[in-house]
Amino acid sequence: MRRSFLLLFIVSGLIVVFLLSSGFLGKKLYMYNWAEYIPQDVLNDFRKETGIKVIYDTYASNEEMYAKLKAGARGYDIIFPSGDHVSIMIKEGMLEKIDKSRLSNFKYIDKNILKKITYDPNNEYSIPYMLGSTGICVNKTKVREYERSWSIFERKDLKGKMTLLDDMREVIGAALKYLGYSVNSTSTKELEEAEEVLKGWKENIVKFDAEFYGKGIASGEYWVVHGYGENIFSEIPEEEWDKYDFFIPKEGGTLWIDNMVIPKGAKHVDYAYKFIDFILRPDIMARICDYLRLPCPNTEARKLVKKKPIYTIDDLKNCEFIADVGEYIKLYRKVWNEIRFGY
Amino acid sequence: MKRHDIYTLPILIWLSLFFTIPLSITVIMSFMSSTPYGGVTLPFTVGNYVEIMKGRILAILWRTIRISALSTLITLGLSLPVSFFMATSKWKNLLLMATIIPFWTNFIIRIFAWIFLLGNNGMLNNILIQLGIVKNPITFLYNSWAVVVVIVYTYLPYMILPIYSAMEKFDFSMIDAAMDLGATKIRAIFKVMFPSIKGGITAGILFVFIPALGSYAIPELVGGRDSVMLGNLIAWEITTARNWPYATALSNILFVSTALALFLYLKIQGSDGK
Repeated sequence: MRRSFLLLFIVSGLIVVFLLSSGFLGKKLYMYNWAEYIPQDVLNDFRKETGIKVIYDTYASNEEMYAKLKAGARGYDIIFPSGDHVSIMIKEGMLEKIDKSRLSNFKYIDKNILKKITYDPNNEYSIPYMLGSTGICVNKTKVREYERSWSIFERKDLKGKMTLLDDMREVIGAALKYLGYSVNSTSTKELEEAEEVLKGWKENIVKFDAEFYGKGIASGEYWVVHGYGENIFSEIPEEEWDKYDFFIPKEGGTLWIDNMVIPKGAKHVDYAYKFIDFILRPDIMARICDYLRLPCPNTEARKLVKKKPIYTIDDLKNCEFIADVGEYIKLYRKVWNEIRFGY
Repeated sequence: MKRHDIYTLPILIWLSLFFTIPLSITVIMSFMSSTPYGGVTLPFTVGNYVEIMKGRILAILWRTIRISALSTLITLGLSLPVSFFMATSKWKNLLLMATIIPFWTNFIIRIFAWIFLLGNNGMLNNILIQLGIVKNPITFLYNSWAVVVVIVYTYLPYMILPIYSAMEKFDFSMIDAAMDLGATKIRAIFKVMFPSIKGGITAGILFVFIPALGSYAIPELVGGRDSVMLGNLIAWEITTARNWPYATALSNILFVSTALALFLYLKIQGSDGK
């Protein structure tokens, strides 16, 4: 009996040694990011140039990422939160300051975009990666006539074929915009009106979906979806792109901006700087924009892109950034609890 | 330390590391206050439980129990004849394999298969449209019934296997004996076979009902706008609402009610057997 125990210990010891050693070989940068947000060939080129391998871990929502970090997840060197979460993470002291003098390519970022950034003025903690708007995508072969407006969710004839994002700020923001209010409204009255609008929309949608809508519209499962253009078009084969119309409703919508940040306690800060600078390089940025079909936040890269983006920076003029509303978030939660969970 | 204790040591360490400690953390958290940006803070309070008891979430709790109980009943109803057939068949091992093989496919993929079958653009709808029976696809999925169907499908093997293994040990000539002694077939099944396979049925019910209570992915994928279950609510409270104490209080309620149901069930089962 004793001998078999000894054997067991030796075997498990060997397994542990093996697992540990495989993790320690080579230079590695641990990235926590949205899924399919950076093309693999860009990461391969980064490895070729610097010898640093990027380990790509993904999240589906800012909230998921934030909850995981807040609960004590460690080991990430670079994260891609949206603006409102950057400001929360700054307030909570979760981010490392960024020394912009170490980023030779920072100068290429569009100054007009930098001016709009209110969540981190002067970019002391965050470097913008991509920006865009949340819109509506329509399958034109199934829905022939429609208005490019949020009112599409009021159409009874499309009942059971539409989805709204499973995202509190996006959905309430859409209803607020539809009513002509700010997406960051802190007025109880305005939010109550938005709740009424959403009750009407909810009758016609099939579900709140933030995971599957891209695949859903591509497979013909849904006809009208609320979501992010890049997630939708990455699911649709290029030759079928003209069958789908992605638009930002005429009333305007929400604007998001995703940023590169270095969390406190990151072990490979130098690698993270190298990576951020690499991403900001115009030729690399242009390749990413082509991959995502998003407008380039980088003026120099705009000259190098090959594909037409789903929408341009000009299309975003009616849109508004989702900002952290602090304590007022309770009003949003109340509306959302009512809409999403019925209490 | 006695010589035998050394053998229980690994399981003891395992349980305390991965069960007792995490559970204690959730219990402690559920009595703390929330901060606007997630995390927990002092003072200690019972407010989270009071909030739950105010009845706001009772509708979701009730729906969770209803969906799980209904799914368990249906799986039981399907499993009894199937297991009976399997246990008495010549092809026992082949049928057993057929029950187990779907397990080899990832759980999420099997849920997606249902979307492929019953979805708006699914096989069934396309057949109906081709045959001219309907013009526009019927929305079969995205409601609580779809959740029940997929739970039944997913957990069916968990019910079949314990019942089958109980039935397999049962000597079917006992039924003939009972009938020779004047019992009807129905009576023979209920009076002779049931008591000896009761253990398998109990195990099956527990294997299905308990995981069904904690469903998250199934209502997320095939559920609709009104089929949120407790698991989805807990996930929402932890992530978007950033109300950790409330979420942990909810999960403790789920845990306690499951444990209580288990305890009651085993108690009833136990007193029956005497």
